[in-house]
Parts: sequence; structure tokens; C-alpha cells
Amino acid sequence: MMLRIITCFKWVIDQADIKTAPGSRELVLDQAAYRISDYDRFAIEEAVILQEKYGGSTAAITIGTPEARKSLKDVLSRGLEKAYFINDPSFDNLEPSQTASILATAIRSQLDYDLIICGEGSGDLYAQQVGPRLAEALDIPCATCVSKITIDGDQIIVERKLDDGIEVAAMPLPAVVTLLPDINSPRIPGLKDTLAASKKPIVDITGADLGQHFEPCLQTVSILASSMKRNGVKFSSDPSDISKFVDAILKTGLIG
Amino acid sequence: MAGVWILAENRNQTLELLSVAAGLAEKLGTQVAAFLGGDPQLAQEYISCGADEVLILPPLAEDQPQEAYIPIIVEEARQGDPDIFLIAATLRGKEMAARIAARLNTGLCSGCTALQLEPTGEKLEMERLVFGGAAVQTVTCLTRPQMATIAPRTFAAAAPVAGRKGQVKELAPPPPGLVKVLERKPKVRQSGDINEAKVLVCVGRGIEKEEDMALARGLAEVIGGELACTRPIAEEFHWLPEETYIGLSGQKVKPDIYIGIGISGQIQHVTGIRDARFISAINRDENAEIFNMSDCGIVGDLYAVLPELTRELKQALKK
Repeated sequence: MMLRIITCFKWVIDQADIKTAPGSRELVLDQAAYRISDYDRFAIEEAVILQEKYGGSTAAITIGTPEARKSLKDVLSRGLEKAYFINDPSFDNLEPSQTASILATAIRSQLDYDLIICGEGSGDLYAQQVGPRLAEALDIPCATCVSKITIDGDQIIVERKLDDGIEVAAMPLPAVVTLLPDINSPRIPGLKDTLAASKKPIVDITGADLGQHFEPCLQTVSILASSMKRNGVKFSSDPSDISKFVDAILKTGLIG
Repeated sequence: MAGVWILAENRNQTLELLSVAAGLAEKLGTQVAAFLGGDPQLAQEYISCGADEVLILPPLAEDQPQEAYIPIIVEEARQGDPDIFLIAATLRGKEMAARIAARLNTGLCSGCTALQLEPTGEKLEMERLVFGGAAVQTVTCLTRPQMATIAPRTFAAAAPVAGRKGQVKELAPPPPGLVKVLERKPKVRQSGDINEAKVLVCVGRGIEKEEDMALARGLAEVIGGELACTRPIAEEFHWLPEETYIGLSGQKVKPDIYIGIGISGQIQHVTGIRDARFISAINRDENAEIFNMSDCGIVGDLYAVLPELTRELKQALKK
């Protein structure tokens, strides 16, 4: 069979750029750069690997405000053939049920697919809901925590790494999988890949094209910096300082 | 029955969720229902620990995954219309919760770390970590039931109350699903349980070679601790088993003492140690982030510091 693969990815704030306003817990995000969510790089790479192995087609899909257009060249340079960009100025700070509904609506109306691949969670919210919710919305089977994929005719065989061990399962295609990072090692795109990316097709899907509203189920009351600061004393590696470090540990009374 | 419902994979997780659920149910003047898979003998214990009703999940066919319970759980929830539904955030629990929430068209707070009822009403304010642990997001759920997944060991287990009464209901077996389990390979524990350890020696990428792990192991032995690590040490280098990596996507630990060796202090990792009582670190970079969240630390080359430190501690502890 011709395996038609869709990889979902998210354009997220680079955590290294998250700053806190002085003297408060307010986040300052306006200078932050964006990047493809790290976990999604494994989903992108796996689509490319599966295509190399089984043939077929690959496409990327993402949701965002029009500013997220910058993500498309990046994702296409990583080897996917085509990008679907669901964008609307209102598609900002979506919660997982909205993201899954929007993806499902767009995919159902515009894309043919056998396999949908997601990362284990997004780099910003890390709610780990969109993959399973998308499967439910499309009424197709789903497997999370996947560390190995084999395609066998019209079914997919997955190895899931769970708390109590590995579960090998088979499910009919089409299906959704969410991947663990140990499934592959994403390639770094070279100059040639970047040049090739600018020639690949991009399909725009606007909010209006979807023809419905997507109400949130969760409301964010606040997002504030979490302080973990303890600012303890720093010793040097001199023997006398190491002794002080030992004393500090023993003084807690928590050892022995 | 309306009220506060819980679903977990095992007894410990169930008892932890029961303590949360019982507290909420008391404030709301409602009842607690707990799903029970596995040994039906546990039903009485769950009732003693706060459940008013225990919903028994029947055994699965050999090739059915746990997720096969989703349709019968959803059917039960449609009929019972719970106010709140809490699920243990195991790897499987997180998938099941997302799919149950999708079928019930409701919101889900993933990885909830704290929750309380709004002073005036019945809405839950739920906290969770975002941006790799750098920030706390507070959410409310606009739909019914209000759902959350809660990581194991976030809350203390409920204690039994003698003479508590409740009901037990057996659910119908789940229909066959599309996913067939072909094989199960149970995890072989290669290490002590870092969740139970009072002392943890945690290794990061400052350790250069696998054989150098002996330095960390030596320190752990002297202070009676377990070895833990950051994600790359387990997942990329495979120097320690995967159940020993600490962080947002791995284990969240609460040791009395944590000693980080060659750990920079990336937020995804330190989020997993925030509840440690005493955090210490050894790193050659004096600006390493880990020092900001440590109670004390040594700035120095771990290869020079560890032998000396281990010797000193051994002497002090007379081992």
C-alpha cells in the first residue's frame, strides 16, 4: 500500500528565551524566539524514515497564528514533502481540546492519510493530549509512548514503552501514534535541504475555511514563573571546603 | 452517581487519589466513586479509605490492552455525570484520560500538581507546570466533568476508617477493540527504586565515560543512596536504566538529600527534584543553573572532588 503519513508539529516558544519581570512572577515572552517543539522533531524524522522504508507520501500539519508561517520552511527542510498551515489570528493559546478539534476538522476535510504521527507532548504545555484526542475525533485507533514502528500490510505494529514494561500491539490503519524520543535520531538539515524546502508546496487553511468555532474546555487563569531558587552557599574544591560541604550535608540530620 | 470519580492503575495510586477525592467530596457535599481493575478484594479497602462506590472493571481478554476499558468507563460517566474525574497520570493513564475527556467533550488538566475549589463555588482551580517546569499554569475547566490527571506520589495515601460502608458495582466486560496486544515484556528492575530512596546521587552529562559512573556509585554506596540520572544518561547513553531518570517526562522524586553530579540544572530535570528536602550539587561551572536551586554546592571538577568527598563522607560516617 501507499503509506500516506501526516506529522503534526507545534511552533513553540524557545524556553531559553523565557524571562521573568524583575521582582515579580510575570513572564516576559515578547522577545522570545520560536522553534519546532523538540519532541516533534522525532515525529518528523520518523515520517521520513518510514517513507524511505515503505514509500508513500509525507506531509506536515500545524496550527498557529499567521506568524507561525516561519515554521514551514524549517519543517520542510527536515524532509517532509508538503506542509498544511492552519492559521488564524485567533489560533493563539489554544488548549488541547481545541487544537485536536481544529486538526481533526482540517484533516477530515482536506487530507488523505493512513498514519498520523505526533510527538510525546509539546515543548510548551506538555499536556500530551492532542494525539489521543485527535484519534478520538477521527474515530481511529491510537497508541502512545511508541518506541518502534513496523508497517505490515494494512496494519501497524507498535512497541509501547510503558511504566510496567514493553507492550507490542497491532492496530489497523489509519491510526495515530505518539512517539518517545528514543525511536530515532533526527537529522540536522543541511544547506541543500534548506534550499529544497523553499520549493515544496504549502497549503493554507484559514479559520474561515474550517467553517466553525472551536470553544475551549479549559480556561487559563494565570501563568506565572515557578520559583525554585534556594541560592545556597557555594564551596570550592579545596579539601577544607569539601569538609564544609560534608558538614553541611551531615548537619541536615537526614543521613545515617 | 454524580460526585468525584477516580481511576488509577494500582492500589497505591488509588489510595492517593482517594485522599484528594474524599477531601473534595466533603466540601461539595457529594460522594466518591473509584474504578477498580484487578483484585476485587481491594473494594472493601477502597471503601474504608473513602470510596462510597467501587466500580469493578472485569478482566480483559488476553489480547486486550487496558485502554479497552475506555468505552465502558465513558458509558458509566455518561450515565453517572460526575462533577470531577481524577485519573492517575501514569503513561497509560495519561492516554486514557485524554481519550475519555475527548469522548465526554470536556477539558482535562494534565499533570495537575495542586488543586483547590474556588472559595465561592464548585469550580476547581488546578495548577500544572508548563515551559518545562519554568512556569505554573492555573486552569479551570469550563465543562463537565472537570478532569485532571495527577502524577503518582503527588499526594499522601488515604487512611482507612473503620466501619465505613459503600457499594460495589460490577461493570460489563468491554467490547473487543481495534488494538490487539501481541506481546508483553514486563520490565525487569535493574536498580533500586529511586522513588523510595531517601538519598539520591544523580548523574548528568558532566560524567564523560560510562566507567566513570563508578565514582558516583562509590559515593552513593557510602551514603546509602540510590543512583539516578538525567534523561540523556538513560535514553541516549544507556548508562542507567530508564526508570532512573528524573524530570518532567521521567520520575518526580522527593528524597531527603539529592546530590547532583555534573548536572547543569536544565529546568526539565530540576522540575523533578523540586520537592527534595536538601539539594546539593557538584559542577565545574560556577554559573551552572543547578547552584541557584541548591542548598549548597561545590564548584569544581567532579573527577577531583568525588574521590575526596567520598573519602571524607566515609570517614565521617565511619563506614
